[in-house]
Amino acid sequence: MKQILTIMLFFFCTGLYAQQKTVIGTVTDKDLGKPLVGVTVKAGQATVITDVNGKFSVNAALNSQITFSYVGMQPYTYVVKDVQNPVVIVMEYLSGNLNEVVVTGYQSQKKADLTGAVSVVKMTDIKDIPQGNATKALQGRIPGVFITTNGSPEGGATVRIRGIGTLNNNDPLYVIDGVPTTRGLEEINQADIESMQVLKDASSATIYGSRAANGVIIVTTKKGKKGINRIDVNASTSLQYYNSKLSMLNTQQHGEAYFKASVNDETDPNNNQIYQFDWNKDFANPVLNQVILPEFIDGAKTMKPANTNWFDEIGQTSLLQNYNVAFSNGGEKNNSFFSVSYYDNKGIVKETHTKKVTLRLNSDYSFFNGRLKVGENLNTSFINDRLIDVNGVLFGALVQNPIVPVYTVTGGWGGPAAGMTDRQNPVRLIQDNKQNQSYFGRITGNAYADLAIIQGLHFKTTFGVDYDGLYERTLRKSYVSGFLVDPSNLTANSQNFDGNLIWQNQLTYDLDLKKSKFNFLAGQESIHYMNQNFFGSRQGYAVEDINYAYLDAGSTNILNGGNGGAYSLLSYFGKANYTYDNKYIASITVRRDGSSRFGQDNRYGTFPSASLGWRLSEESFIKKLNFISDLKLRYGYGETGNQTAGNYATYSLYSAIYGTDPTFTADRGTAYDITGAGTGTLPSGFVKIQEGNNSLKWEGTKESNFGIDFGLFDQKITGSVDYFVKKTSNILITPGYLAVIGEGGTRTFNGASMQNKGFEALLNYEGQISKDLNFSVSANIATFRNKVTFLPSEVLTAYPGNGSTQTIVGHSINSIFGYVADGLFTSQQQVDNSPAQPGKGLGRIKYKDLNGDNKIDDNDRTYISNGNPDFTYGLNFNLSYKDFDMSLFFQGVHGIQVYNTYKTYTDFSSIWPGTNWGTRTLNAWSPTNTSSNIPALTLVDRNNENRTSTYYLENGSYLKLRNIQIGYNLRNALSSIKVQRARVFIQANNLFTVKSKSYTATDPENPGGAYPIPAITTIGLDLSF
Amino acid sequence: MKKYLLYIACLLGTLVSCKKNLNEQPQGVLASDQLNTPVNVDKMVTAAYSSLGNENLHTSNSLWPWGSMRSGDAYKGGDGVGDNSEWNDYETFVTNQNTNSLTDQMWAQIYNGIARVNNALLRVNTISPADYPLKTSRQGEMRFLRANYYFMGKILWNRIPYIDENVPTTDYIKKSNVELTSDQLWAKITEDFRFAANNLPATQSDKGRPNKYTALAYLAKTLLYQAYTQDDNHNVTGIDQAKLNQVVSLCDSVINYSGYALAGDFGDNFLAATENGPESVFAIQYSKNDGTQFGRIDMGHSLTYPMNPEYGCCWQHIPSQDLVNNFKTDANGLPMFTGYNDVDATKVSDFLSQTFDPRLDHTVGIPGHPFKYVPTFVYQTSWARASAIYGFFTSMKDDAAANDPSFQKIPPFMSSSKNWELIRFADVLLWKAEALIELNRPLEALPLINMVRQRAGNSTARLKQADGSFISNYKVGTYQPGVNCVWTQDFARQAMRRERRLEFAMEGNRFFDLVRWGIADTYLNTYFASESTKRTYLKTAKFTKGRDEYLPIPLNQINYSKGLYKQNPGF
Repeated sequence: MKQILTIMLFFFCTGLYAQQKTVIGTVTDKDLGKPLVGVTVKAGQATVITDVNGKFSVNAALNSQITFSYVGMQPYTYVVKDVQNPVVIVMEYLSGNLNEVVVTGYQSQKKADLTGAVSVVKMTDIKDIPQGNATKALQGRIPGVFITTNGSPEGGATVRIRGIGTLNNNDPLYVIDGVPTTRGLEEINQADIESMQVLKDASSATIYGSRAANGVIIVTTKKGKKGINRIDVNASTSLQYYNSKLSMLNTQQHGEAYFKASVNDETDPNNNQIYQFDWNKDFANPVLNQVILPEFIDGAKTMKPANTNWFDEIGQTSLLQNYNVAFSNGGEKNNSFFSVSYYDNKGIVKETHTKKVTLRLNSDYSFFNGRLKVGENLNTSFINDRLIDVNGVLFGALVQNPIVPVYTVTGGWGGPAAGMTDRQNPVRLIQDNKQNQSYFGRITGNAYADLAIIQGLHFKTTFGVDYDGLYERTLRKSYVSGFLVDPSNLTANSQNFDGNLIWQNQLTYDLDLKKSKFNFLAGQESIHYMNQNFFGSRQGYAVEDINYAYLDAGSTNILNGGNGGAYSLLSYFGKANYTYDNKYIASITVRRDGSSRFGQDNRYGTFPSASLGWRLSEESFIKKLNFISDLKLRYGYGETGNQTAGNYATYSLYSAIYGTDPTFTADRGTAYDITGAGTGTLPSGFVKIQEGNNSLKWEGTKESNFGIDFGLFDQKITGSVDYFVKKTSNILITPGYLAVIGEGGTRTFNGASMQNKGFEALLNYEGQISKDLNFSVSANIATFRNKVTFLPSEVLTAYPGNGSTQTIVGHSINSIFGYVADGLFTSQQQVDNSPAQPGKGLGRIKYKDLNGDNKIDDNDRTYISNGNPDFTYGLNFNLSYKDFDMSLFFQGVHGIQVYNTYKTYTDFSSIWPGTNWGTRTLNAWSPTNTSSNIPALTLVDRNNENRTSTYYLENGSYLKLRNIQIGYNLRNALSSIKVQRARVFIQANNLFTVKSKSYTATDPENPGGAYPIPAITTIGLDLSF
Repeated sequence: MKKYLLYIACLLGTLVSCKKNLNEQPQGVLASDQLNTPVNVDKMVTAAYSSLGNENLHTSNSLWPWGSMRSGDAYKGGDGVGDNSEWNDYETFVTNQNTNSLTDQMWAQIYNGIARVNNALLRVNTISPADYPLKTSRQGEMRFLRANYYFMGKILWNRIPYIDENVPTTDYIKKSNVELTSDQLWAKITEDFRFAANNLPATQSDKGRPNKYTALAYLAKTLLYQAYTQDDNHNVTGIDQAKLNQVVSLCDSVINYSGYALAGDFGDNFLAATENGPESVFAIQYSKNDGTQFGRIDMGHSLTYPMNPEYGCCWQHIPSQDLVNNFKTDANGLPMFTGYNDVDATKVSDFLSQTFDPRLDHTVGIPGHPFKYVPTFVYQTSWARASAIYGFFTSMKDDAAANDPSFQKIPPFMSSSKNWELIRFADVLLWKAEALIELNRPLEALPLINMVRQRAGNSTARLKQADGSFISNYKVGTYQPGVNCVWTQDFARQAMRRERRLEFAMEGNRFFDLVRWGIADTYLNTYFASESTKRTYLKTAKFTKGRDEYLPIPLNQINYSKGLYKQNPGF
């Protein structure tokens, strides 16, 4: 140890006595790599300024520091080393800075010149959050981008930009390095992302015309940059905690609740197959002395009564690991960036596990003095998932009786016994499926050539490939688990292959006429998508081992199948931007898209947009007001489209369907045992599967956006406010149809209209308390109001409402339609005097007679929730002191009524008498517990309390501490070794939640039984060499 | 510079000409006109038959959820009243509304079948007999099948839209459910059956196809239903004697010439090994190991198996205590017409201490009794599910023994490839008996009823315990006027109606019998009053006369028809 200290000291001293050296170099900006003019360069006492080419020359001592500063940019410190000159310094804009470059679709613009609603993601804010999906980490950070997630290791997230725009798929379009895709970001490495922009309104998204109606998320990945030669290493390890388990009854409690329910019904409680009760046999005043458990719960005497907490059996504290190494190398004529990442997430439900490896290689090459640039972006992802039916596992944990043991006395599977419902042992579901895995591979890449024809005129052609394949092989094992038994086994094998070929060509021309600046874009894009898949399965495996369970080894019930589809898009687009004197900005875009999905005469849709900006802050009358550093008004109008119809929706088609899986829905097959043989290959035929619609055309969205951007006190305070009105019409719908038409009456047509209005605001404050102590606060809020404005009458019944007098038209598409629960009947007088309600009684839910006809029936339903929050918000604090940094991020949803489906099980003994129930049932209403609002226990739900009603609606507002992070940069401590950055950090996600008291389950973000969202603690390291 | 621009223009030009790229050939599917070859037309006929087996868990073409669960023969069962609560709404009537999703599903299922028939029939009609020698027979088969579906729809909803192959699809929306009167609808159905009877061969080599006599039998059934005339409020206003006479003669043709006969053992009708036997007039043909994953099995009965490990789900369609008590016989071996409900038969000893009709142990799974004729496979109380609510019995005709080759698991459910009889010969005998009684020729009906009873009495061979003793104490006698009964028209009617109940219990007919006879309200409300003392969930049950005889027209269909369809009275 001493030796090491000596050596370190030696290095340090060498530095002190080092001689002077002339450092020459260039300063460039990070976004575009363009030289920066007028950067202040300080070395000791000396101060110089970069010239028009961004070049500088300064004398400095070895190991001394040179600082670079420039208004609106992050200061940069360079430690003088004995390496060859010249050096390249890359400076980064402070966020909110007006010169920040924003990628806006086939081109980039300065933020100051933007006229649409474009949000820029601060990648630094989410950099180390180990979510495995960049979009997940964005939850609550961008106003108007509403993200819902669950805790699954696979990392999927649902993204809704500015409400719900259509009755079809509402997912945004992702454009990754220019390659459009509808797959989310979970398949790419978060650390590879250089920048992310969200095009929220139509005036900015129109350039992606087709498919842009739900907004566009543009992702640019990291590239090598001139002069940068660096290795970045990030590593983090996290623990994930299952802290949202529901409180369910234990064996004794379940017995007591059963007893209570039974005596309330005045039926003999001992008339059941699980418990016996020692009681006074007096229904008027029942007293339970003891719940008597049988010696065994099953006739075969294999299961002793247990007291299983199923959530504990299926849950675990789990490990999440994230490693990333990136090599970046920039030279005069070529740049390259290469990264490898490994993400390993074991979920909080046992045996769920996702492993993800990504490789990225982005490189470019310059020729002919930089006039020709050729390059590629290539990403490969490999994802390996365990195929565990988590919904089934979670449901099993919720409803499985606590008296059921996990294992039988001989080590077999415990399972439901007489008197219980047919629900699986969730531990078995985990253990019997953990060998089943999926393997997913995706290659996304493009190659491009960019030729400068003359100064300012560029031609760029890009050819992209985005293909993925999914392979699964699963073994369904035979089992005995209580009375649930399946002696058969089965191996299923499937492969899906799908993807796009994309070819883009574009011409750009920049024209700079002193005060007037123009840039033009003209382009063309063609996309061809195809998918094909097949599967095979066999049964009769001699050994139930995944290493054996290949199709070849199966002997019976040999099945296979497969299908495919394709579509094409062909588009032309043009855009012109104009800026006058940095004050007045205008932009016009037109895109014309053709899709193979539409009828011959309606294939092409035209999507125009126009936007205007006025930078008031450049006007002299505002310039007088010193505190205003930036002020811009924006207005944009645009149209975007959607082609979410079936690939062949214009055709009337028949299919040779032999048979379909009839487990839960009726067989649609055509095979029939007409000979009466009872077995063997059957004669079969064809069935109509759809009715074509040759007049099918593009669904369109028209959106107006009003915006204001402002900056005060030298951009210390910055912000923006946007208001939008978004109207979607000709929504593609494939409704149910008059049943007499028979199968294949399905027909897609353009029918519905919808409207969203909303506003978004963002406010930032950058503060400095002392030279070393900086902080920033950022807050955002967003809201939208959605309503369906038109629906064809035949479609109405498919949406909440009664289809005639009360329809979804005028209501939010997320509306819930049901009864109004008006508390419980607490006296016989109330029961007698209330409207006719079959099943009413003491302690039962009283429903409101909304139409006043003195009876409760279907006509007493109304819209009980619009399903949307009043507003969503986020609040971020950053603090840095010397080498310490800290951040806190809160995210919240306010004013949402969620439908708590758990209540069916946590509050009732009657809806599913054969399952376990929640501990809330112990506090149910009774003549002696009259303050309770939980219905009296019963085994027979005569009152149909499972009906959709406000009883299940609860305040789902929440505020979560999404992320807290503390970091320390060891750079100074380690300055002697050649490390540019060495940050260690600890952080925690979802550390606490503030929720409404009236929400009776655990996590209002997850009211419907999705994969529970864990709390996560992380320790990690970022190193740069 | 110009050169470059030219290159680029050329390049863009090439791409523009790719417009034809936007034509995508549909993959793996066919257009309608590709199906008009003789081979494909025959395949379309097969596809129409196939719809007989395209049932859902909840929409059995046996109609048990409507015909037996609403008749006092069966409870819904399952895990409490909330499990498939739509069925609870059926069973208790009061909460049954036009939004019941299963009503809509069944409606769609029936019309899917009709649409397949019309699609096939249109192609068969246009193909020349030279190309398609089976043309006439296939036309008869398709019209038989169509009439079968319309019959099902008619007894479920009364007023339904009628569409045949000559109606263009674009006109479907103009076809109201009240365009035809009830009688006109019956006439359409009988017209199809008559056409089938006139054009079908007397025998068919394929067992799944109807022959001339199948059509005659179904025609008899249809005319029998039509004979009981109803007014708009479902009151039975009279019985059409002419139609009854037709029923008698049609049944005679079947009885005398078809070759159909009662199976030797009652149980033959409910076993895969003896399916397509002499009693099977028309059955849905199910299959397994047929190239589909689980087989084209009887999904309509997949929820009816009990909860023991050999099965495991879902114990629905549970025989009522009232039904079980009805199998009691008196000292003469005749059904008890009074007092049968005084003491419930539940325990093993109850079935030995008094006498029973052996059809009980073919129909009802009883704790302590062998299940499905397997002496060592004894039904236990633990096989029941929500026994506190529904008691301990289970249904048996719909199920196959776990060791039967026809049994098939389809996790989490199970069923079998055992055929389901839509018409068996016993039905023909009792229709004729019914017609004769209502024609006031009760004496001619007597031998028919006694034939059915005789066979029942002889059907005890399979009903034995492992030790060879009979499961219950069986005693069946025939009606002997002047000896053990006074065979008046009223008595004969009562005997015939009870015989139908015992013979066809749990087979999906009973409720429709009650409505046909015009006694559904009094019968069911009496049943609810008595049964709800044993099954408290029935306390809210009530049959509303003038409404509950038929299901409501599904709200969805009224909406899709833009209000063209008219709701049934009372809903």
